[in-house]
Amino acid sequence: MRMLARRLSLYVVTAWVAITVNFLLPRMMPGNPVQQLIGKLTGSITPQQVHAIELAFGIGLNQGLWAQYTGYLHQLFVGNLGVSITLSSPVSTVLKSAVPWTVGLIGVSTILSFLLGTLSGALLGWFRGSRLDSLIPVATFFQAVPYFFLGTVMLLVFGSSLHWFPVLGAYSQSVTPGWHWDFVFSLFRYGELPVITIVLSSVAGWMLGMRNMMITMIAEDFVLMAVAKGLPRRKVIMHAARNAVLPSVANLSLAIGLVVSGALLVELVFNYPGVGNLLLQAVLNEDYPLIQGIFLVITMTVLAANLLADIFYFVLDPRTRTEAAV
Amino acid sequence: MSSVRLPRSPKVLVGAGLVAFFAVLTVVGPYLAPYNPSNTNFNANLTPSSAHWLGTTALGQDIFSQLLVGARATMIVAIVAGVVATILSVTVGVSAGYLGGKSDEGLSLLSNVFLAIPGLPLLIVIDSYLPAGGRSNSFVIGLVISLTGWAWGARVLRAQTMSLRNRDFVEAARIIGESRFRIMVFEIAPNLLPVLASSLLFTILYSIGAYVTLAYVGLTSTAVWNWGTMLYWAQANNAPLAGQWYWFVPPGVCIALIGTGLALMNFGIDEFINPRLRSAGLSSKVRRESGLPRRPRLGFTPVLRPRDASSARAGVR
Amino acid sequence: MNDVDQSLNDTVLEIEDFSVDYGWGEGAVRAVNNVTLSVRRSRVLGIAGESGSGKSTLVYAVTRLLRSPGVIAGGRARLTFDDPGSHDTKRRTVDLTSATSGELRSIRWSQVSIVLQSALNALNPVLRIGHEFDEVLKVHRPSMSKTERRERAAELLGLVGLNEDRLARFPHELSGGQRQRIMIALALALDPQLVIMDEPTTALDVVTQREIVNELAQLRVRFGFSMIFITHDLSLLVELADDIAVMYAGNVVEWAPAGDLYHAPRHPYTLGLLNSSPPLTGERRELVGIAGAPPDLSQPISGCSFRARCPYAFDRCATEVPVLGVVDDSGRKVACWLHETPATVPMPLRIVAPGRDETVPALDQEVVS
Ligand SMILES: Nc1ncnc2c1ncn2[C@@H]1O[C@H](COP(=O)(O)OP(=O)(O)OP(=O)(O)O)[C@@H](O)[C@H]1O
Ligand SMILES: [Mg+2]
Repeated sequence: MRMLARRLSLYVVTAWVAITVNFLLPRMMPGNPVQQLIGKLTGSITPQQVHAIELAFGIGLNQGLWAQYTGYLHQLFVGNLGVSITLSSPVSTVLKSAVPWTVGLIGVSTILSFLLGTLSGALLGWFRGSRLDSLIPVATFFQAVPYFFLGTVMLLVFGSSLHWFPVLGAYSQSVTPGWHWDFVFSLFRYGELPVITIVLSSVAGWMLGMRNMMITMIAEDFVLMAVAKGLPRRKVIMHAARNAVLPSVANLSLAIGLVVSGALLVELVFNYPGVGNLLLQAVLNEDYPLIQGIFLVITMTVLAANLLADIFYFVLDPRTRTEAAV
Repeated sequence: MSSVRLPRSPKVLVGAGLVAFFAVLTVVGPYLAPYNPSNTNFNANLTPSSAHWLGTTALGQDIFSQLLVGARATMIVAIVAGVVATILSVTVGVSAGYLGGKSDEGLSLLSNVFLAIPGLPLLIVIDSYLPAGGRSNSFVIGLVISLTGWAWGARVLRAQTMSLRNRDFVEAARIIGESRFRIMVFEIAPNLLPVLASSLLFTILYSIGAYVTLAYVGLTSTAVWNWGTMLYWAQANNAPLAGQWYWFVPPGVCIALIGTGLALMNFGIDEFINPRLRSAGLSSKVRRESGLPRRPRLGFTPVLRPRDASSARAGVR
Repeated sequence: MNDVDQSLNDTVLEIEDFSVDYGWGEGAVRAVNNVTLSVRRSRVLGIAGESGSGKSTLVYAVTRLLRSPGVIAGGRARLTFDDPGSHDTKRRTVDLTSATSGELRSIRWSQVSIVLQSALNALNPVLRIGHEFDEVLKVHRPSMSKTERRERAAELLGLVGLNEDRLARFPHELSGGQRQRIMIALALALDPQLVIMDEPTTALDVVTQREIVNELAQLRVRFGFSMIFITHDLSLLVELADDIAVMYAGNVVEWAPAGDLYHAPRHPYTLGLLNSSPPLTGERRELVGIAGAPPDLSQPISGCSFRARCPYAFDRCATEVPVLGVVDDSGRKVACWLHETPATVPMPLRIVAPGRDETVPALDQEVVS
């Protein structure tokens, strides 16, 4: 329990740091880019919008930094992330429709990648020195390819050349979104290639980490004891794997940030309607309120995912559970 | 102490080879380039030929020249970011691990916060506020990347320092009365080298990815040639869909190869740090001659065949 | 059962000319050299010797559990046990050095179980104690139901004096002594013919050590399994073992009934070992270590490996390797040239062993009465 409380407080601090960075960055940067943006936009947006932006980014206010900060925190607290410049609608509304896509895509990919990598890593570790070892350089190569590049190649080869997978978007334009079979099927089909891309790019990390831990575990006495007990090989491997997986799970929360970073770009490649795509559009359009809002939402989502990963670890390792009791 | 045994597995050699190749390219690439990469004098969208090994862009620039020139910017940013991040990790990680107590708690919190914030979104936010002068400056970009990439190394170094701290030789230095700073620099630092090397390679790998990604989404100056800007222009001109593989595949493959090289070298360091990971000497000639299995199998100790046993053990008694 | 069977049934494990190497080819190091030993049915064989003398290597190799780069370089190890397949108590013999992995798997734990020095590492840290019992019973006794397995586990814990609520615990929640008791209970789960204990009490404090050894002695009398008990501590062994083998640098240098060996050692190394271990109560002996250190096994040794540390070494010891041979009528075997001719035996090695009855370990009497 103590471990979970510690992690939770870490995430609270992290959230606060992210919010504060978000607040300070536009105010600290030399040659205030937001100011320039407003100059460019004058005429094309309403004076109210200009005023809202000025308020959000602390331009021309005769308020102290501290007062601005508390005001900023208050706005965040009531869920006001500002108004997108290009889309002219509240950032929170824009995000509400994009976040589920990203959470779905990255969530599914991460779980698949973790399971696949851990399983193959366990086997690679156990059967070290066998022909399976040739998987290692291959996996390493895929790990080194940038997500977006792999996505582009996959899109080209399996999407537009071979037509094995439908691409571009999250579902077919010919079905109406809703909870019916056609739509779900379409979702599934359109999700395949992005998921495969993210899994291919991220699986090597799990695989190699698990392999190394597995090799380390095999040297432990309890694995030898599992053999001495005459257990079938499958069960012996399980004894080792059950322990070897713990560091992977502990690293899960670390890795989520990395996978999210890569996966955001996969959305761009496949034109997936998620947060990543939105973020990059916002960057191109210099839509600062949207950029900031997306950064905060991504960070909070990642922190929530981290907490889930920590709970998972807590469930898997009995030693963390009794720590408090001792 | 016996001489350090560097792992010489084929994996490590291939990795070192790849890294060396790109290191050389960083230095000589711009001189080898047949044309000025920004020069738009050629016909647009040429396919590969002897004059233009990788064809030309939609603006009529020589792609092969861009690839050669781009190596330098890519690598310089990666190295700047890698070195700065490693200095940060060492400072934070080693101090936290060595000092312990309150300092450790503060420094660990700092690195954990940076680990928990997703790197690329933070990078994009910072970068989007950079003035144009900053975006075209390799050192500025490198510094920004290092800011998001140091925390992992700090964590690993902290753990390693903590385990070193309690070893005999450090204890001895403390008893002699050496200053904390001296102990850190002369006793602990040399023993951190393998972990440090691994962290440096990892950070360079991360930095290449981060830089190329920033360039790809158009957040670095598009006038500075690197592999990411090449991909940016290729994407912007729909090269993938137009079937101009020679435009967008070479930079991607280069990134992947240098990344693979760095990761393979890291395997060597891992094996150095954790001897259990070293290959168990499979398929050496003697092993096969003695009738031993290629792969040791837990719980099935091999038995030498009598015939081979006598020959294998001849002379040793 | 006829007489011939009777004599065959007498041994459970027969180790013959057994050699073990670490590594192979040029780099091979011989850790166990031509060892011949046997374990009698329902008896305890003690193995003693300094650290590094090859005790663990021997028993791990015999059970084929020795890790790479360990290799069995020669010899046989035959295990004889009641064939569970037949209805009458027919005995079956399996050569462990040529057994298939399937055969080994079915023999393991059901016929030979093993307890390691550190029970902390021998129990899987993320599994409940109950799971360890359940798993072993499930694999080897597929006909048992879940409740039967649970009852059996509780019963086994009772045997070693632990409450059954320990079954729900994780290893890190138990003390070292409790963990070791659990390992012992686990080792008895399938009524094996042979239980191997590799320094099971070394990591424990002296009081717990005594308690566990007493319990083991009682359990052995009650269930009649054979046991190999490895320890540095000869005086502990003399209470528990029927026979003792002393190992030095990979060789068995003396192998004799426990009392004989304890009271009247014949090998200079046994004598040295006895002088350096704390005596049993009642006796007083000056504690003297053996001068020098064991030889480096990676260097070839000519002659007797104990020569350099032996106060009685003479010319022949430098050239010829002594072989294990019978030296008196009790069946004692010693590998030492001093015993070739009665005249060369130095005084300290001539002590007459007291009558066998007097050497029956005190614990046995306690249990029998
Ligand atoms: N993996 C290995 N490679 C090479 N030599 C080894 C290896 N493991 C053990 N040895 C050597 O084999 C010899 C016997 O070791 P073993 O562990 O059997 O001794 P032991 O009698 O059980 O000692 P202890 O009482 O300390 O447990 C030792 O000299 C040791 O150095
Ligand atoms: Mg041992």
